[in-house]
Amino acid sequence: MGKWRKRLCMSVFLGALIAAALIYRDQHKKIVLEFGMFTGSNWDVASANSFKIIDKAVKCFEESHPNVKIHYYSGIAKEDYSEWCARKLLEGKMPDVFMVLDSDFDKFTSLGVMKDLDVLMAGDHAFHKEDFFSTALNTGRRDGRQYALPYETVPTLMFVNKSLLAKESIQMPKEDWTWEDMYEICRKVTKDTDKDGLLDQFGTYNYSWRDAFYTSGGKLYDERQDQLSFTDSRVLDAIKYIKRLNDLNQGQSVTQEDFNEGGVAFMPLTFAEYRTYKTYPYRIKKYTRFQWDCITFPAGREGENISKVDALLMGINSKTKHERLAWEFLKQLTYTEEMQMDVFLYSQGVPALKSVASSKEGANIIQEDMDEGEQVISSTLLCNVIENGIIEPRLLQYQQVMNLADGEVSKILQENKNVDSSMKIFQRMISKYLQQQK
Amino acid sequence: MEAKKINSRIGLLQVVILALNVISVMGISIFIYRTIEKIRRVYAAREFLNGIQAIVWYPYAKIWLCALLLLLLTLSMIIRDRLFPNNNKVILTSLVADFFLCFMIIILLNFNYNGILLLVFSNVIMYVKNGKSRYILAAVAIGSFILADYELLSISYRLYSIQDYISYYSASVQQYLLSIYNILVSLNVIVFVVYCVNIINEQQGNLDEIHGLNEKLQEVNEQLQKYSQMAEKMAETRERNRLAREIHDTLGHTLTGIAAGIDACLTMIGTSPEQTKKQLELISKVTRDGIKDIRRSVSELRPDALERFSLEYAINKMVTDINAVSETRIYFDCRVQNLKFDEDEENAIYRVVQEGITNAMRHGHAKEIWITMKRENQDILIQIKDNGIGCKEMKNGFGTKHMKERIKMLSGVVTFDGSDGFIVNARIPIRRGETYD
Repeated sequence: MGKWRKRLCMSVFLGALIAAALIYRDQHKKIVLEFGMFTGSNWDVASANSFKIIDKAVKCFEESHPNVKIHYYSGIAKEDYSEWCARKLLEGKMPDVFMVLDSDFDKFTSLGVMKDLDVLMAGDHAFHKEDFFSTALNTGRRDGRQYALPYETVPTLMFVNKSLLAKESIQMPKEDWTWEDMYEICRKVTKDTDKDGLLDQFGTYNYSWRDAFYTSGGKLYDERQDQLSFTDSRVLDAIKYIKRLNDLNQGQSVTQEDFNEGGVAFMPLTFAEYRTYKTYPYRIKKYTRFQWDCITFPAGREGENISKVDALLMGINSKTKHERLAWEFLKQLTYTEEMQMDVFLYSQGVPALKSVASSKEGANIIQEDMDEGEQVISSTLLCNVIENGIIEPRLLQYQQVMNLADGEVSKILQENKNVDSSMKIFQRMISKYLQQQK
Repeated sequence: MEAKKINSRIGLLQVVILALNVISVMGISIFIYRTIEKIRRVYAAREFLNGIQAIVWYPYAKIWLCALLLLLLTLSMIIRDRLFPNNNKVILTSLVADFFLCFMIIILLNFNYNGILLLVFSNVIMYVKNGKSRYILAAVAIGSFILADYELLSISYRLYSIQDYISYYSASVQQYLLSIYNILVSLNVIVFVVYCVNIINEQQGNLDEIHGLNEKLQEVNEQLQKYSQMAEKMAETRERNRLAREIHDTLGHTLTGIAAGIDACLTMIGTSPEQTKKQLELISKVTRDGIKDIRRSVSELRPDALERFSLEYAINKMVTDINAVSETRIYFDCRVQNLKFDEDEENAIYRVVQEGITNAMRHGHAKEIWITMKRENQDILIQIKDNGIGCKEMKNGFGTKHMKERIKMLSGVVTFDGSDGFIVNARIPIRRGETYD
């Protein structure tokens, strides 16, 4: 027995020694922090500078944390990024900090891949979540928890063909214009100019019932009951409004071709597209035959001049071994003014930090790129649109139901069906579907 | 022989259960890893994610972790069964360790396979023989088996399901995989049940053996009693024969001599009275010799103890002998100094005391017996008192009858009182100084 005890003691001692040696070695080894990102723009616009920002952030971070090395894979296209993440995830090698696509956010949070940031945020006194646009911040929330921080935001704006309006001697709409104002302009614009019996000038292109609904003041998704109500009067109003606009076209459908030719007055456009195609070098690529600008969306009777806001999110892997460093790096990317200013400089979106988005410096950067004499969206307007904008729930179910709704609405428009009764039937189907999904 | 066979079968079944569990656990973890690799190879990862509820983190490391835990489990079994099969502390510690190891494996596999608990239960059943702790352990076992169920836990926790990984494959492969999985799970349960049946059999076997031995013992006991009765009878017969022989040899011989001598005297008495007197003296001598002979042959019937020791010592020896062999306590109080009487008196006293003790024990079921002996004038008083059940009505049993006869032969009296326990009072007059010589 004594012999056994001696042997046991010896082996425990040896084990402790090895463990100590391993810990010592680990502590003196350089920590590698993995970062997952995709190349190119999140907003599907051409972008040449996607690495510039990250490289700068990595350099800054490595300088301030000499023991840390940040590693990232370059050259993953946005369309491959989701698969790349999933592969890494299955392999158990998910990066410590990573960009999250809209389509992945819901799945990743439900799988527990994303770290709950609430504790980190509460424990960091230098961090104030109020500094972010609340809409942008909310895109990273789910079930009352913050899982990701916004890196840059992009609101949707209304593209206005200034040349067309000028030709028809219509005044450029004001920022607080309404549905009726827009309908009036569309009615005036829609005509057959070359007298070939077919309309060749149209009011809107791609303006959907969703865009109209956002400005109607209604709310579709009830988070508490997990239900969507399509029979709400404001949903019906929005669809009816779209139907009225559609009726102006006398059954003719508007194409991208018509728009590119300069024959359409209005089209929803993301801020990223606005920045890309309004500035050199891409300015010469698109929309070159006419003068154009962007304004807010027209408001419904009870609504405001707002629109959909998107954000590019970044999160932390819930299984990261370097929680503190990952948080520091995430903050470096999303929460430092210098980095956020780079969003203005090198990217196409709007910084997620309010102070940077509304800064004079930021406005100057945008102005610099523009042609002289071009009017630039004022930063106050931009901030307003973002702060009050609509964020769509990222729930997979929500997306599926909205796609079904899109189909239903286009059917109503094409087949000239009654809006109220069609939507009532549709609501019954959706309620049943959502009930089953619970 | 039978028990040995069952034991080796139980050992074999245990190894089979272990092997099945090793196959299942390693199979599941390797299957998950292989499936993930396959999914990654064909770039179907994102689509696969849509169909699952939870991620298997670090699938490759998990294989090694499972293997390590299984190795520890096997080691613990070897240490318990082979190295310290009789050390209770080691057994208990290793069983608890087994339980924790199993739960770690179950958690690693996200409750997709809880059959490994059966392995622990099989060990527990084998070692825990104590009734109460066995029930507690059974409750713990059943409770944990139910609690460790995937369907139940997946409601409230994020757990991955092996089904999701199986359903990645085409329908035909799915059927194949599912049946393998189900066969392994069922086989494990079946082997466990067989194992339990064997354990029950083994314990039933032990009980049967004990019953059999008991019966044999009973038989032998009865035989012994018969033998002892027979031996008693034989001794009696032998004694009777000896007595007959003695009487024939000594008394017959002497009496014949006396008769012949007296006949001679009768013829001589007229003619020669002097010669007759001589002849009568001779007859007297022969008679005395005859008495001596009879005394000798009687003395051969005396109890062994009395033959060798004094009466007091003999009674004391009897008392200590009985105290030693039975639960009855006997207290002997002798207030007579120099307890030395004639042999027949000693015999009678010894027998009366012996008989009294036997009666008190046999009929009275007494726990304590007090024997007092004292002297009153020329009489000796013997009292045998017990705290047994006594008897309300005196029956002329064998014991009391003998006692009465013996004491009557010495012209003494004996009284019995069965109202409170049982009291025997005997009064025997002693023939002091009266000898045959």
